[in-house]
Amino acid sequence: MKYSATLRVNGFSYPVTIEPQRTLLSVLRDDLELTGSKEGCDDSECGACMVLLDGEPVNSCSYLALQTLGREITTVEGLSTNGDLSPLQKAFLEAGGVQCGFCTPGMLISATALLARNPRPDDEEIKASLSGNLCRCTGYTPILAAVRSAVEMTAG
Amino acid sequence: MTMTTEPRTAPVVRLDGREKVTGVGRYAADMTLTGLLHGRFRFADIGHARIKRIDTTRAKALPGVVAVITEADVPDVQYGLFIKDRRLFAKGVVRWEGEVVAAVAALTPEIAKRAVELIEIDYEPLPVITDIEAALAPGAPLIHENWESYWQDEKLVRSGNEASRSTIVKGDTAAALASADLVVKGRYVAAGSQAAPIEPRAILAEWRSDRVQIWSSTQVPFAARSLVSETLGLPENKIRVTVPHLGGGFGAKCEGHFEPQVAALARAARRPVKVVFSRRDEFLAPDHRREGMIVEVESGVMRDGTIVARRAQVLTENGAYSADEPLITILAAIFSTGPYNVPNVDITGRCAYTNTQPSGSVRAPGAPQAAWALEQHMDEIAKALDMDPVDLRRKNLLRNGDLSPTSQVMSEIRAVETLDKAAELIGWGQPLPDDEGIGIACAWWPSFPMATSAFVKINVDGSPTIITGAQECGTGAVMTLPILAGEILGIDPSEFSLVYQDTESGPWDGGAGGSQTLFNNGRAVADAAMDVRRQLLKLAADELEAAEDDIELADGRARVKGSPDRFVTIAALADKTQGTQLLVGKGSGEVPPTPASDTSACTGRLGAESFAAPTFGTHAVRVKVDRDTGVVRVLKVVAAHDSGYIVNKVGAAGQVTGGVVMGLGQALTEGTQISGEGRVRNAHLLDYKLQTMADVPDISVWFTDTAVSDAGPKGSKGVGEPPCIPTPGAVANAIAAATGARVRELPATPGRIWSALREGQA
Ligand code: FES
Ligand code: FES
Repeated sequence: MKYSATLRVNGFSYPVTIEPQRTLLSVLRDDLELTGSKEGCDDSECGACMVLLDGEPVNSCSYLALQTLGREITTVEGLSTNGDLSPLQKAFLEAGGVQCGFCTPGMLISATALLARNPRPDDEEIKASLSGNLCRCTGYTPILAAVRSAVEMTAG
Repeated sequence: MTMTTEPRTAPVVRLDGREKVTGVGRYAADMTLTGLLHGRFRFADIGHARIKRIDTTRAKALPGVVAVITEADVPDVQYGLFIKDRRLFAKGVVRWEGEVVAAVAALTPEIAKRAVELIEIDYEPLPVITDIEAALAPGAPLIHENWESYWQDEKLVRSGNEASRSTIVKGDTAAALASADLVVKGRYVAAGSQAAPIEPRAILAEWRSDRVQIWSSTQVPFAARSLVSETLGLPENKIRVTVPHLGGGFGAKCEGHFEPQVAALARAARRPVKVVFSRRDEFLAPDHRREGMIVEVESGVMRDGTIVARRAQVLTENGAYSADEPLITILAAIFSTGPYNVPNVDITGRCAYTNTQPSGSVRAPGAPQAAWALEQHMDEIAKALDMDPVDLRRKNLLRNGDLSPTSQVMSEIRAVETLDKAAELIGWGQPLPDDEGIGIACAWWPSFPMATSAFVKINVDGSPTIITGAQECGTGAVMTLPILAGEILGIDPSEFSLVYQDTESGPWDGGAGGSQTLFNNGRAVADAAMDVRRQLLKLAADELEAAEDDIELADGRARVKGSPDRFVTIAALADKTQGTQLLVGKGSGEVPPTPASDTSACTGRLGAESFAAPTFGTHAVRVKVDRDTGVVRVLKVVAAHDSGYIVNKVGAAGQVTGGVVMGLGQALTEGTQISGEGRVRNAHLLDYKLQTMADVPDISVWFTDTAVSDAGPKGSKGVGEPPCIPTPGAVANAIAAATGARVRELPATPGRIWSALREGQA
């Protein structure tokens, strides 16, 4: 049995017809072809699939698409405006926070949620907030530096 | 992170960075094609068994299934680097739970999954051996009954379950041990571990008449192409392997991997097929995990700390089939003596077949476990001599003029500097709280010279393009290659475009492994840029009526030295070449020489006779240990490296921090757990715990940053692999320093630390 519904993603409305057990991640990637959100585990262990749901970070692999009706979804594709990178996106590039880039969408989403909640987090808060996002490349150090520098850019 | 030396050039942003932060960059799993089917493998799901019957009838009958294939549907070809002991699909016997038995292509991933379950396989179980020593014991059941019939590298020495046996012999170890003041012995056991890139692999194949286009998340597209060629019997130019963005590899995506099976599946289905691994598949099936290892070592030392002899036996876990593990065993044997000047050496390396996932290169293959064992042994020697561990290392570290275990003469090395710097930056010798300790460990690693080529062209409008077969896996070739070419051509690195990771566009390259991209392909790109530079200077000399020697390239212009107003833009020169000879440079550069060595007393050698442009590093780690629970908190890491000249400081530092954190995981929380039936118990990220951002301490990175000769571009050496080598040993030594208890098993889990504390051993 499939249901017709409308998902709100990055400010657009997308009509979809989906089975109720479909995860948000699979609908984003396979139906809407927004492949920025990555699948690293399918089990809420890696954070590569993270998106914002009304501003709150969730692992979209472990969230049913139909649970998001009426809520605003933001994926990594929605983080830049009119081609301008967000301060976090810029800081990730400049500080070496991106290597292979597979964790990057989830990291950026996590960090975006953190800065929205707390524009001046200290290192411990940054580390705690991003600890659900695994990165195998960077050793996290450059990502921490990137978030710090985005804080400086934005919080003044 | 504290960068103790400032970058000399403005940091360069990755050429692929913008795509990666905006989510538009495509990885293999993100791709789709018209008519695409979804493929899935049926794995053996049993440790060791004879196949009595495979029946695919019910799977084929499932609506939506387009093809089901087994060994009967592909050429009967055995392959393998040193021993041709395996096939694309199991035939007759399965030897580890992740072995591929069949493959299905269907309209949806769900149908493919159901079809895989409908394949009926009857097994007759065979004895399962998961233990290295049990596999090598006399009378152990054979994992490959017909081992003698397999093709093998002629230099390989092997017998039965022993997939390789090699020795390193220098001097007279028995006599030196007998005359030493003291002999210290140790035994260390390391569990196997996983590369665990965050991207599980994905492969797509699409046939176009008799040619196949493959997209794969491989680190080595050319090796993948060769494997398809060998196993499916196609010439290499009918196979194109293209890598979209690669989500990390760390060695696990080296060598050909599943590309032939997916190509065969697409051919049988007559439609393109995509196979995407789940995280569980990624843990079980790739034939590249970091090997388990047992190191037994004894050292003869004099009262003043001079090491006079070292004897060691290194046992490694080959797994069910042989990838590059026999060579890795040779490397591990070298690393079991460490970067020290030991005049008498007698080491045996033995590589054992087991009914487990095949081992193979994972970031600095063989080195971290061997260094972990040896560096603990060094601390145990220091303790026996009542000597400071840093002093013991300083006394014995390799210096210029010393001989390596294979009698290579060291030159232009700075191992001692890395030791002194790491000790200084960690505050070695400072008083610490009772529950804290500092450990130190040293390591070395070769650079790998090999042939490669590249092109550099200047387009009509003056914009530059690099065309190379090199592969980026996150490690930064997209930065270093344009930096090198940009310096030669006077063009900002960010203005380059890069054609790469595709077997049909660029010349052959060894791929993203062996820390070799900057070292080798950097040389080729620089050489190609020099070729274009010569062409530009000639054109500019005509144009500016000046001698070529008087012209410099800078800021996108050719200008007369000392008269910056006399210039012509590179764009104008490029425009002039239309209709004559275009601006295209090609280059390979001269492969750096491999140093001389003497392995005349050694046996079973497959390579690694000497270390070209060897790198050195010392890590110092400060930990806090909770004695009641055995839980370790890492407080600080210092990583000091001699990697020659550093071309890209931000990129190189990111390799070090990444390597250190991988080393911390290997030291404390990773480690594959295997049941007696050969089943992996922790094939997911909840139980195979990678370090998180919350676990990670402050990491100070320091480089000697000094150019050396006979090395890579500008006197650089390999950077990517070495940083994960010394960390586990330094952590182990720090735990022992904090608690007085020594954990001789890897990883040092809280349970093991707790037990060591209870036993009061040290
Ligand atoms: S894919 Fe969702 S947490 Fe890993
Ligand atoms: S950049 Fe590769 S996993 Fe984080």
